[in-house]
Amino acid sequence: MSRITTFVAAFALCAAAHAATPFVDVGKQEPITILTPSTPWLPAFTKIVETYEEQTGNKVKLDVNPFGAVLEKARNDLRGSGGAYDAVLLDTQWTIEMYEGGFLSPFADIDSAFTPPKELLTYDDSGYWNEQKRWRTSKGGKLMAFTVLGNVPVWYYRTDVLKDAGVAPPKTIPEVLASCAKLNKPPSTYGAVLRGERGNPIRYEWQQWMLSRGATVVRDAENGDFTVTINSPQSKAALDDYIEVAKKCGPPNPGAVGQGDVIQLLSTGKAVQGQLVLAAWANFQDPKKSAVVGKIAVVPLPRAADGKTAAVIGNWNYAIPKGISPAKKKSALAFAKWLMSYDAQYAFAKAGGIPNRTDVLASDLTKDPNFSWMPAYLETLKTARQELGYAEGAQVEQALGLRLNQALIGEMSSGKALNQAAQDIKDIFEKNKRKTGLGPPLPE
Amino acid sequence: MTGWVLVVLALCVVVGPFLWIFMTSFKTQIDILSGAWAFTPTLDAYADVLLSKRSDFGHAVYTSAIVATASTAIVLVIGTLAAYSLYRFAWPRWVTAGFLGWTLALHMIPVITLVGPWYLIFKELGLYDTRTALVLTHVTINLPMAVWLMMAFMRTLPPEIEEAAVVDGCSPVQAFLRVTLPLLVPGFIATGVLTFIFSWNDFAIALALTSQQNATVPVVVSKFANDYEVLHAQMAASSVLATLPALVLMFIGQRFIVQGLTMGAVK
Amino acid sequence: MIAVRRPRTLAGWINATFRHWSLLPAVILFAALTAYPAVDLARMSVSTITWQGAQDFWTFTPRRNFEALMSDPSLSAAVVNTLVFVAAAVVVEMVLGLALALLVGRMVRGKGAMRTIMIVPILVPAVAIGSMFKLMYNYDFGLFNQALAVVGLGPVSWLGSPSLALWSVVIVDIWHWTPFVFLIMFAAVEGLPQDVIEAGHVDGASPWQLLRYVTLPLLMPALTVAFLFRSILAFKAFDEVYLLTGGGPGTSSELLSLHLYRVFFEQNQLGYGALLSVLTMVAILTALALGRRVARKVRR
Repeated sequence: MSRITTFVAAFALCAAAHAATPFVDVGKQEPITILTPSTPWLPAFTKIVETYEEQTGNKVKLDVNPFGAVLEKARNDLRGSGGAYDAVLLDTQWTIEMYEGGFLSPFADIDSAFTPPKELLTYDDSGYWNEQKRWRTSKGGKLMAFTVLGNVPVWYYRTDVLKDAGVAPPKTIPEVLASCAKLNKPPSTYGAVLRGERGNPIRYEWQQWMLSRGATVVRDAENGDFTVTINSPQSKAALDDYIEVAKKCGPPNPGAVGQGDVIQLLSTGKAVQGQLVLAAWANFQDPKKSAVVGKIAVVPLPRAADGKTAAVIGNWNYAIPKGISPAKKKSALAFAKWLMSYDAQYAFAKAGGIPNRTDVLASDLTKDPNFSWMPAYLETLKTARQELGYAEGAQVEQALGLRLNQALIGEMSSGKALNQAAQDIKDIFEKNKRKTGLGPPLPE
Repeated sequence: MTGWVLVVLALCVVVGPFLWIFMTSFKTQIDILSGAWAFTPTLDAYADVLLSKRSDFGHAVYTSAIVATASTAIVLVIGTLAAYSLYRFAWPRWVTAGFLGWTLALHMIPVITLVGPWYLIFKELGLYDTRTALVLTHVTINLPMAVWLMMAFMRTLPPEIEEAAVVDGCSPVQAFLRVTLPLLVPGFIATGVLTFIFSWNDFAIALALTSQQNATVPVVVSKFANDYEVLHAQMAASSVLATLPALVLMFIGQRFIVQGLTMGAVK
Repeated sequence: MIAVRRPRTLAGWINATFRHWSLLPAVILFAALTAYPAVDLARMSVSTITWQGAQDFWTFTPRRNFEALMSDPSLSAAVVNTLVFVAAAVVVEMVLGLALALLVGRMVRGKGAMRTIMIVPILVPAVAIGSMFKLMYNYDFGLFNQALAVVGLGPVSWLGSPSLALWSVVIVDIWHWTPFVFLIMFAAVEGLPQDVIEAGHVDGASPWQLLRYVTLPLLMPALTVAFLFRSILAFKAFDEVYLLTGGGPGTSSELLSLHLYRVFFEQNQLGYGALLSVLTMVAILTALALGRRVARKVRR
């Protein structure tokens, strides 16, 4: 009798222990507060945090704020004596300011033995900082952050509409124009819609087209050569392409189309193709938000006719402030270690997030129709890069974003816009004592 | 006759968009995006605003109510007193012009540049993320308008009334409380209403000086403007819900002021 | 003034010093909370601030900041647009607000209800006004274009057309802020001495003459304050334009407040941004001084 009870007891204990086994055993840690943006993937993130709390018993509090407020709060906290946050989620554009300012703690300083799993995507090394070069690179750079959510733009299209018209999803820009010729029936239907709003919207979207043609903004920022090359013939061709597609395929007010507008046009069915970030995928699967549930698919962005595929990454980076207690730093890093694990990322994906590990992206999830975006995502990541990765990034973006928008609305020719942008950008670099210059001007 | 038409027209224009917002709060996101007029109403947005974990709306209303009421009360008291002092008690020119000019100049500074230093001050004082900090800063930004407004209303009063009260043997404080204040009730209400609204609707300061536990209503409402999409229904619902408590509080406040100020009035 | 006699009671002492202690709380509180920010702003506007090793470093660079001001490509557009915006919005709001106040003042019943209803536009959170009006202005699905379609007119690109964008923002501002002027003027109208107006009536003055020579002069203090503060607020207007147009298309709806936000906050140029703040103040003062001159001429 006693042997059976022992056996049952042992079995029960085993089962109980297994049920509560955390994905990664991080031990008992201090409660932490994470500065978090209010984004569509927040529910997925909240769910994964709850799972962490259940499994490990460690407390994690999310201080959720709207987009701009995250930067403001991060700055206030990090520049002051700190202490309000034990981890901050930084948009890729803000990481450089924080790295250069010395506000963050490299992961190696907290745990010298820490190495991230090799399956963890680095998203073009946005989490590494090389102080000498003032550049984000893993070569000679310290690990300061890792990506919690990596966004790339993809090409959305209506499977039913394209099939009916006998059009295949376009792989090149000329194919996009050809598809529009068949699909664009204003005012009831727009063939394809692109973001044209001034500033970050048009800059971000257009840069993929620019990179596809091999154009660059500066010659070699990584090695300190900030000669401005934005006004090259390749750039001009890319801008002309962009304007042509926006005008021939989209609504009559291209200069005011923002991300919300693209989502609106696609989810109401008024637009049948569009360039949009991957993270918006979930919007189209929800019947309360979309009239085209199950009819949307994604492919990598179309490239220039004789160009390569290219994409610009927009990602959220998890970083740990320098000015908090060692115990809190350890706790924040512990959560990070847990979040980087296969199981945690798998759960994150299932909850609606975008995983950051290659093995999860190649797992059995790919067979699930809810994750039909994964092949396009993996394909895009092969050539996706970070752009504007220098301290003057925000200024450059605004200068470029203004001129591109002005070209789009017809205020100036594409050549003049790019020349003007080049001049503005050169002035910015000059003021910051970078080695800079201009290339030959374009015909205007 | 044309008067009536204009008033009715004004009412329609004023209330129209708000009614549209009200209607929007009962639609699903896709109905809103397609501008549908025929739709099945749903309470999802209200549920999300009031019950979900993302927003702490009830607590935000509570915080906003306390901060707005407290700062309005303080502004009305010290602002009216200061305005009365400047108006009635012949201060030298440099005092009046100096104080009025200083308040106006500070009022011109965009709040975004004031918030940084205030954050540091309150952090040093250990008052970061407290209602006290919000009350103090709201008093500061609303004091200029309150002082100037009350002075303007005082200027419309006939000066003989006060002099009569003094001749009758009223002390200065009594003259102020019994004679001047009751006459200022409409102005007092207008100033109070505006101060309350500006405090209630302040976003920039509340965002910088509080974290989630002391968030005010505008901060909570702004969370529905996501990374790249606006949750229109929730934003509409929270706007409706934000307007109602404020209206109720102001309605009560108006009654209170009218009763309180005219109680000791001397004819 | 009361004859100064050594007061022997507490009440007496309170009355004798009423003059002082009524002014002091406001002065002390205001000075305490504005001295440091004002000094900080002045310092920042002539400095460049960088961060290294979590420490801030200030360098005295008035020339550099001033040059940034001169060479800023979108600044002149911002200044011009702001002046146009303020002039258009404030004038319309003053006229409408005053007219409504006078009309409602004449109503026998329902004044309180009117006042409460009129408050609603300024009560709705600014971020909600921006997003809701953006929906209404939407080219494909918005309320305004739907209304136009009903009467057979084609859709208008309210926010996407460079010539219309600023005016679309002005319209939203008018809806949002006319109640501000209304509330102030309504309180002033309620406080008008009825006997003076009666006397004017008896003298045989026409309604227009009554308005021009009796009522308006009496309302002048309130009108001035309403104009003053509405103008200052209009110069600082940010939330609506940020959400509606973001300053575009091009620079057609770029306002100073938006430009300041970009420079100070997004681009993290604290020194130049502080200088822009100071510039905003100068612009307001200039505009007010000009307005005062125009008002004087009009009065004659």
